[in-house]
Amino acid sequence: MIDLFLDILGTTGKKFINFVVNIGHFFIFFGNAIYWVFKPPWYFKKIFQQILDIGYFSLPVVGLTTFFSGMVLALQTYNGFTDFNSESTVARIVLTSITRELGPVLTGLMVAGRIGAKMAAEIATMRVTEQIDALGTLGTRPMQYLIAPKIIASLVCIPLLVLIGNTIGILGGYVIAIYKIGFNASLYLNATMEYLQLIDIIQGTVKAGVFGLIISMVSCYFGYNASKGAEGVGFATTSSVVVSSVMILTSTYIITALFFG
Amino acid sequence: MEKKNNKKVIIKVSNLSKSFNNNIVLKNINFQLLEGESLAIIGASGSGKSVLLKNIIGILQPDKGSIIINDKEMVNLPRSLKEKLLLDLGITFQHGALFDSLKNWENIIFKTANKDKTNNRQGKQLAFSIIKQLGLQPEILDLYPSEISGGMQKRVAIARAICGNPKILLFDEPTSGLDPVTGSLIDQLIKKAVRTVGGSAITITHDMASVCRIADKVILIDKQTISWTGTPKEMFVSSNTKIQEFIKPINSEIFFK
Ligand SMILES: Nc1ncnc2c1ncn2[C@@H]1O[C@H](COP(=O)(O)OP(=O)(O)OP(=O)(O)O)[C@@H](O)[C@H]1O
Ligand SMILES: [Mg+2]
Repeated sequence: MIDLFLDILGTTGKKFINFVVNIGHFFIFFGNAIYWVFKPPWYFKKIFQQILDIGYFSLPVVGLTTFFSGMVLALQTYNGFTDFNSESTVARIVLTSITRELGPVLTGLMVAGRIGAKMAAEIATMRVTEQIDALGTLGTRPMQYLIAPKIIASLVCIPLLVLIGNTIGILGGYVIAIYKIGFNASLYLNATMEYLQLIDIIQGTVKAGVFGLIISMVSCYFGYNASKGAEGVGFATTSSVVVSSVMILTSTYIITALFFG
Repeated sequence: MEKKNNKKVIIKVSNLSKSFNNNIVLKNINFQLLEGESLAIIGASGSGKSVLLKNIIGILQPDKGSIIINDKEMVNLPRSLKEKLLLDLGITFQHGALFDSLKNWENIIFKTANKDKTNNRQGKQLAFSIIKQLGLQPEILDLYPSEISGGMQKRVAIARAICGNPKILLFDEPTSGLDPVTGSLIDQLIKKAVRTVGGSAITITHDMASVCRIADKVILIDKQTISWTGTPKEMFVSSNTKIQEFIKPINSEIFFK
């Protein structure tokens, strides 16, 4: 009995120490990656490829999710607040929810699933097949060539994606408000414009930047440190999606609290 | 042997030991590679040949010992200096390690493309001039590594290693998986690099016929250390049982030569 207890304690302790060590490694990786982000020369072709991949090719999935979220929000608000349903209530709730929270978070989660997984799998495969080792022997720094472009591109693209997602989300709300609920279009638009706050946009963009950093750093970290074999690639991929999603949801709370708390 | 004293030492490995957790892979390895010398490393599968190579090129950190390349101590050398040193080396990995997101020609000229901005046409021309010697067709240049056969990949990896004419070649099983004709092309290439260009080469191989063709000196890794050293000719008169096992399959072939 005591043996079992000690055993459990031992494994838990080991796991915990492992966890702490991993966090330490992550922050070393983080600092290193930031250094290479600012260190010339930059691989512009690589950065451009990544921007295309992260930004452009994520547009459909981001557009679709934010559009439907805007629609759902409008419908729910209208049904939930029937007592004082007015153009201004629905418009305001759609606008604030999308710009402050749903736009950034949904975009972040979608990109984490789509791009984070891809980044982690790509880098992990390169690690496992010794391509990263080969890079180092061919006069190229893996951090500079592989990691920095992904981080730069994420930092550029995800805020832009969020701005676009926000617009599409608001449009989704508009479509439902006008064509399903039957609100007056100009009243609704006026209300939307009236409640549009710069601080909300700034907050959303800050979140997007933080999410971009989280997704690229976490995915690159898991990919870069993947262990040998096919399961190493799989583990890196799932870990990066789970960890970056959790970190996105945690950090959105912290940022909200900092701005409006 | 007599010349040894006035030849430059290119790579000197002393007292190198390497283990993973509790698995001791290499223990007290000592050898030298001289200028203009072709060295073959043989040994059973899992004996630590690739680990030795990875220690030499700084991908793995030895637990103990020193590795001197061109008079510079590799172990604990600052990163930027290590990178500079590695540029003089042409390295192939056992499993190719080609960049699968780049076309074959981009793979081949990767090292030089980093140094001077080669444009596409020049780059392809350079790549073509290298693969010609390896029996590859120009059509493969515009394909990705995943679109060519394993043996072709092997040769693209060799092309990538020799691009820029490095003076030191380190090849991990360059002829495994190749047909004998193509294999002997690689052997000729190594020989040419060593004999005519004045380079030096370390080749890890299981192919004893190839050892006989290319090597000036053979090293056997067995039981975690170098258990035999000699020339290919000396292998045939050696009393070392492991060496005898290794050469048994080709003994007759040499007889007919
Ligand atoms: N990264 C690593 N982590 C742990 N152990 C390793 C690692 N790389 C190699 N080993 C171990 O080192 C030993 C030697 O491996 P190595 O790849 O050098 O063999 P080899 O002589 O090249 O064999 P082969 O001829 O099959 O290529 C093996 O037992 C292997 O398990
Ligand atoms: Mg090997």
